[in-house]
Amino acid sequence: MDGVAVGRAWIDVWRTKKCFASTEGSRIEQDLVQCGSALSALAVGSGDVQDRLYPGTAGLYQTGGYEIINNAKLLENARRTGEEAVALLTADQSPSGTMDIVLSGDQVSLQIHESIGHALELDRVLGWEANFSGLSFATLDKLNSFRYGSPIVNVACDMTCPKALATEGYDDEGTPARSVDLIRDGILVGYMAGRDTASAAGVALAGCVRAEYWGRLPMIRIGNVNLAPGSATLDELLDGVKQGIYMESNRSWSIDDKRLNFQFGCQLGYEIRNGKKGRLLKNPTYAGMTPAFWAACDAIGDASTWVAWGTPNCGKGEPIQTARSCQGASPARFRNISVGVGYGG
Amino acid sequence: MAVDFVTDENAVERVLDQALAASKADETEALVFSSESALTRYTHNYIHENMVEKNWQLSVRAVIGKRIGVAATNRLDAQGIADVVERATDIARLSPQDDDFPGLPDDNTPTDDIPETCDEATATLGPQARADAVAQITQVMCRNALYAAGYVSSRADTIAIANSKGVRRRFRGSDSAINIKAIGETSSGYAEGYARRFADLSPKDLAERAARKAVEGAAPRQLEPGKYTVILEPPAFREFLGYLSWMAFGAQPFEQGSSFMSGRLGEKVMGANVTIRDDFTQREHLGLPFDFEGAPRWPVTLVENGIAKDVVYDSYYAAKLHHVNTGHALPAPNPDGPMPLNVVVDPGVSTIDEMIAGVERGVLMTRTWYIRLVDQKQTIITGMTRDGLFLIEHGAVKHGLKNMRFNESIVDALGRCQLASELVRSESHVLPAARIDGFHFTSGTEF
Repeated sequence: MDGVAVGRAWIDVWRTKKCFASTEGSRIEQDLVQCGSALSALAVGSGDVQDRLYPGTAGLYQTGGYEIINNAKLLENARRTGEEAVALLTADQSPSGTMDIVLSGDQVSLQIHESIGHALELDRVLGWEANFSGLSFATLDKLNSFRYGSPIVNVACDMTCPKALATEGYDDEGTPARSVDLIRDGILVGYMAGRDTASAAGVALAGCVRAEYWGRLPMIRIGNVNLAPGSATLDELLDGVKQGIYMESNRSWSIDDKRLNFQFGCQLGYEIRNGKKGRLLKNPTYAGMTPAFWAACDAIGDASTWVAWGTPNCGKGEPIQTARSCQGASPARFRNISVGVGYGG
Repeated sequence: MAVDFVTDENAVERVLDQALAASKADETEALVFSSESALTRYTHNYIHENMVEKNWQLSVRAVIGKRIGVAATNRLDAQGIADVVERATDIARLSPQDDDFPGLPDDNTPTDDIPETCDEATATLGPQARADAVAQITQVMCRNALYAAGYVSSRADTIAIANSKGVRRRFRGSDSAINIKAIGETSSGYAEGYARRFADLSPKDLAERAARKAVEGAAPRQLEPGKYTVILEPPAFREFLGYLSWMAFGAQPFEQGSSFMSGRLGEKVMGANVTIRDDFTQREHLGLPFDFEGAPRWPVTLVENGIAKDVVYDSYYAAKLHHVNTGHALPAPNPDGPMPLNVVVDPGVSTIDEMIAGVERGVLMTRTWYIRLVDQKQTIITGMTRDGLFLIEHGAVKHGLKNMRFNESIVDALGRCQLASELVRSESHVLPAARIDGFHFTSGTEF
């Protein structure tokens, strides 16, 4: 269509056969299938470039077969995606200031990945990733006492979650899949720990140690780190906002090397006025510090809005390894957030 | 006896021959990449990861008319080669036609070998040598009551390409790196080194540099967000510039209109003191003399004295845009187009110490972290500082600062910069330190 310079679509399919054996008696064979797909539109206008990707931030990536590709409904959403990219070229610039925001579920998913998932990898906490992926502010002395978020924030690493992209029967140390609470009622209560880190820190195993392939050392990777759904519909999330911004699908993500100071940008936004979505906005960004941001979460979408959003390309380690993770999430509302940074904010 | 495709050049040539012979496609390209790479990683002053990997891969691109298929394998026996050729051909048959595809390149012009690209001592460096380097680093840390995290790495790579149009190339190169983060109670410092010859790296000197930063940066203070004069040391400057390679300096974003260079060749885009090139012959680079289609690689001036001059091309975009092929193809399948891999920023006239001495009030930045693109056309990026941020006052480094977030336009910043006189290699860039006035810090963090 006019204005769209580049249209892309892709399908990823991985079938992984793994055989694990250890001198402790484990002999495990797994046959895993994961799929994902997405399409994108790049619109180029006079002095501006805008892009839209569907579905979500990186596509719909889950554990399972071709039904996952079908569920993405790419053809049904292709035209709308292109139209949105073109419309963004002439949309108003998203404002700067402090206001309430409602984030789409896939954007909450990436927020979880960067500010909870990575912060709670225990090898990072212990300093094993210090020179590259970094450390963590969530040090061991904070366990069971630190307020990570508001009381409605409950996060668990659940390696048994159906369809979630990181679900396996066993991790690459032979630990059976399980669910471990990370944040309960807003309090830090757990970490993603492997056999060596768990014994060093005296915490429970999480069963999420993985190697990208045979030629890499297994290491803790974000598993299925899911934010428990709340009780609000999307309309109810918006209804509680007098003036704010609804932001959808990530475009840029940056966080410091202890997982505190972050700035994220989204593909598009809509002004919220008196509980209703209004004009289209381009280049929306928001920023904050991790614990204060999650403490500002005062409503989470209900189970009907919850999706096991997969991240197909998380990088960590030296030599670098790519892993696939999941952060299940619903849309959520956050109060009094700094917005528009990078565009005069 | 198992074949070793890292050391057996004849075996690599046989694989190329077998792949081309097995193919019934109209045109065929075979690319073998074999490597032996080693990395010794450490933290808290002890080695916690130590690995060596030897691996090889054959990638086949099959062309049927204007349909293209690519498949890869690391099974390089006769059956593995036959299978990957068949898969590439099957994929080609199922692919849509690309009317812009000009066919595989046929330029077999000889390229000059650069002997210094491969140092055999580096190519065969053993774990003891890497461990000895770590020992030198940790000794410096212990003297300074710090601990270090980082790595020592070495590698040898062989890249060989042949196609059904007679192109035939082979390259062997070595490389090494040392990465050091020195960590204290309240501060950290960073140093890095890259060289084709491991013997050219000094673990002790690099460790002293990182340790000095950590010590001098202890008890860092908060700086108010705002616009400041900054001195970016080479690692920080390389990270600051890095996005330009994929979003601006290649023919694909140029043609699509998303590059800041699009429609602006011949126009002033940066300061008159800025010249940016891609040059594999640069002494500190000594890179691959051909691209991943086997086309000869040429040095390209991207920006000259602030004027947009050119972008890099592969055979596809050279044909599409009627430009000479500059030899910058990446391995197929490649959705991102050609890219520069050996960026050089030409130096200025002042040393970094002279540049610091000329700053009344500003910031010295060692390194950045998690830079991400905020606006492609305006080249606005955001990121954090890391491992050594210092206040400069009255021409001298005063004390450490807590890390800060910046939002800045790369191209705008290069319109108000000064460049230092010494060139340093930092990963895929050779560049000096840079002073940028009015650099925008938008927030801070707690450490």
